[in-house]
Amino acid sequence: MATILEIKHVSKFFGGLAANSDVSFSLDEGMIMGLIGPNGAGKTTLFNCITGYYPPSRGEVIFKEQKISGLEPDRVCRLGMVRTWQKVRPLAKLSVIDNVMVGALCRTNSLKTARELAMEQLKVVRMDNKPNFLAGGLPIGERKKLEVARALATQPQLLLLDEVMGGLNPAESDEIIQLILEIKKSGGITQMVIEHDMKAIMRISDRIVVINSGEKLAEGTPQEIVNNPEVIRAYLGDFHA
Amino acid sequence: MTVLLQSLISGILIGGVYALIGIGLTIIFGVMRVINFAHGDILMVGMYMTYILFTSLGIDPFVSIVITIPLMFLFGAFLQKLFINRMQGALPQNQILLTIGLGLIMSNTMMLIFTSDYKILSTSYSSESFNVAGISISSPLAISFLITAAITLLLYWFLLKTDTGQAIRATAQDREAAQLMGINVRWMSILAFGIGSALAGTAGALISPTYYIFPQIGGIFTLKAFVITVLGGMGSIVGATLGGVIIGVAESVSAVYISSGWKDVVVFVLFLLVLLFKPAGLMGKSRM
Amino acid sequence: MKPTFALIRTSAGTSPVAIALGVAILAGLFLFPNFVQSPYALHIMILFFLSTIQGEAWNIIGGYTGQYSVGHAAYFGAGAYTTMILMQYKQIPPWYGMLAGIGVALVVSLIIGSICFRLRGPYFVLASIAVAEIMRLSAMNLKDITNGAEGILITEIPVFKIGETIVTDFLSKVPFYYIGLVIALITILVTWMVQNSKLGYYFQAIREDQDAAHSLGISLPIYKNIALALSAIFTSLSGSFYAVYIGFIDPPTVLALDISVQIVLICIIGGIGTIWGPVIGAMVLVPLSEALRSNLIAQMIFKTGLTSEESGIGTFLKENLAHAHALIYGILVVVVILFMPDGILGWVKKLTAKKGRG
Repeated sequence: MATILEIKHVSKFFGGLAANSDVSFSLDEGMIMGLIGPNGAGKTTLFNCITGYYPPSRGEVIFKEQKISGLEPDRVCRLGMVRTWQKVRPLAKLSVIDNVMVGALCRTNSLKTARELAMEQLKVVRMDNKPNFLAGGLPIGERKKLEVARALATQPQLLLLDEVMGGLNPAESDEIIQLILEIKKSGGITQMVIEHDMKAIMRISDRIVVINSGEKLAEGTPQEIVNNPEVIRAYLGDFHA
Repeated sequence: MTVLLQSLISGILIGGVYALIGIGLTIIFGVMRVINFAHGDILMVGMYMTYILFTSLGIDPFVSIVITIPLMFLFGAFLQKLFINRMQGALPQNQILLTIGLGLIMSNTMMLIFTSDYKILSTSYSSESFNVAGISISSPLAISFLITAAITLLLYWFLLKTDTGQAIRATAQDREAAQLMGINVRWMSILAFGIGSALAGTAGALISPTYYIFPQIGGIFTLKAFVITVLGGMGSIVGATLGGVIIGVAESVSAVYISSGWKDVVVFVLFLLVLLFKPAGLMGKSRM
Repeated sequence: MKPTFALIRTSAGTSPVAIALGVAILAGLFLFPNFVQSPYALHIMILFFLSTIQGEAWNIIGGYTGQYSVGHAAYFGAGAYTTMILMQYKQIPPWYGMLAGIGVALVVSLIIGSICFRLRGPYFVLASIAVAEIMRLSAMNLKDITNGAEGILITEIPVFKIGETIVTDFLSKVPFYYIGLVIALITILVTWMVQNSKLGYYFQAIREDQDAAHSLGISLPIYKNIALALSAIFTSLSGSFYAVYIGFIDPPTVLALDISVQIVLICIIGGIGTIWGPVIGAMVLVPLSEALRSNLIAQMIFKTGLTSEESGIGTFLKENLAHAHALIYGILVVVVILFMPDGILGWVKKLTAKKGRG
């Protein structure tokens, strides 16, 4: 399978502190990559480096055989990579459909087309029954789903989900898991998922990368990861600290 | 050489007053995260207060600060309690607009009472000066500088050595943490606004013998206060002290070497450069 | 919090009654000078148009895009000064001066945008003020071009001709009335078009969350600059219009911080980010501040018998209230910010929504 994203020796320093140091791995088209690690391990920083929010201090990011590190987030999005936010960022004073339309307008200039595309994505996340609700007034579960719909509306080839199940109850988490698997099944979209819920990540991921203290600790299939002694030590160490 | 020295010294002298204005703004910003657009108008109220005390009771402007300081403190505390406090945590834009509105009310109320005519508070020493090594120094500026220096030192002592001062600094550093430590954050905000207003009012009192007094004078000083605090780093008291002196010197030197008309342009250009290239200011940590 | 349907698009459900009402108001506005000859009434209407243009123009960058510029005097002054300089010293008719003013304002907006849009929140506000102040001080100092603090007084407005036909002669207030009305309508129309286009969606996305907007493919510098440029065009037009109408400009009347603040307040008081907010703001502010300026309020107080014209308080009010007309701006903005953060329009909407729910 073709490689869609390659992260090569990416490091990010803040002052003297390394939030990421020398992280390398790659994603194949159509797969789901899980990204796990203790709190403060540098997962979100890595997302920010990949999507253009910070230029990496060292190393480069290759997306579809094109170097994208150093590009602004809007360019990255236009190239076909989009992310969601750990702390959701709804456009609060806009309606649900308008939120998704903003995403869809990335690919069209016509409001009519954008509205149709947005409606399709709302169907995917099963929110097509409330297009005119204000995004700011939605409960957390629906705000998370709205964020996924909005990201999908930009018609990405690579979708980066940052703790999209965080703060959800088991039923809601389950719905998101189904959603992620459906997106995979529909084909054409590769996904990278940061998640704390171990059970969920083991269930959905094809491969997993473990990050600890900014460095890549391990990479492998879910099975390999659960049996990796270093990972177990890092996690147990983390829990007992 | 004498010209340069002359303008340097008068710049430092006026810089002392600017420092007071800047420290006031920076304390308010530090504790409340509100940029006070009425700061210059509060200074203007201090000027009029001094003017009234002088014309009706004959109290010397430099003496009258013992009355101005507590009154302006109460005025600021009252503004905080009644208006600004309601905006804690609101959009910064709306906080700014609220203080702009309060400033408009202050300046227009003064206009209602005193008309927009320029008032002059002339003391026997208003235009006096003395010579040190061939450099002439304006007496009122020199006195005001001494008072400024004393107040600044007193303020440093208060903030560094007293419990209340430390509580204010803790609140400025991290509001939530301060609250968790049992500091009464609301009270600190009132105190901060009171102190900030008292400082602005004092600055107004100190410059009243050398400046025209009119209701719209506040705007100029609000802008200067921003320049000073941004230059020094929003929330940094040392920075504001330094910023005040730098702006004072920049103004008086460019007035001599460029032209008095362009001196404020120099200040604003400096301001933009700092915003762009060192947004955290000279002494501050970036919060952007 | 219960989700609400507050943001159902209004254009989708425009009722025939509303259309009829709109047409009637429009007709009324165009026929107004035929029925009302009072120059004072025309004057108030012209000021109302002027404020509407200013408010709508600021609304694009402040209301829709969420970038609170408190330096719009820069564009107002750019329009006013360009038009006046060309007219008074080069005898170029104001129509062309207006266009030149737009050009200058666009250049200014690009410079300001490239400096200020790197900053966010309060820092953006401060930078926008600083740039406008630099322009005011420059106008004070560049005496050869701007005549400095003395300002520019028009002695004669060149008659506007196409071929040999005189189009306007500016001898009465009526031509100004129609020019103001048409510019105001164009401004409202453009705002409406922006709101119902990709631009409008992108502007509002930037207002709601810059980082989220950025991640959805929206280039922040490009769209912020487009918003500012649109806003600058109409603010500059209002400046040109004001200058020719009043016939005199100097730095304090067209470039001061007060002007920037008034422009913001029109929008804030009416309701930001809505098409009709600035119109409502202008409708409230212009008559109120004119009533104060012309001592109407003082006269009314005398009529109620609270105090007489001859009494001490009476003379005081008569002499001073006129000067303090900006007091009303201060009081209104404090009340609006504290009690109706969505402006008068938002407040009315909320009230009617509550009533609707019973």
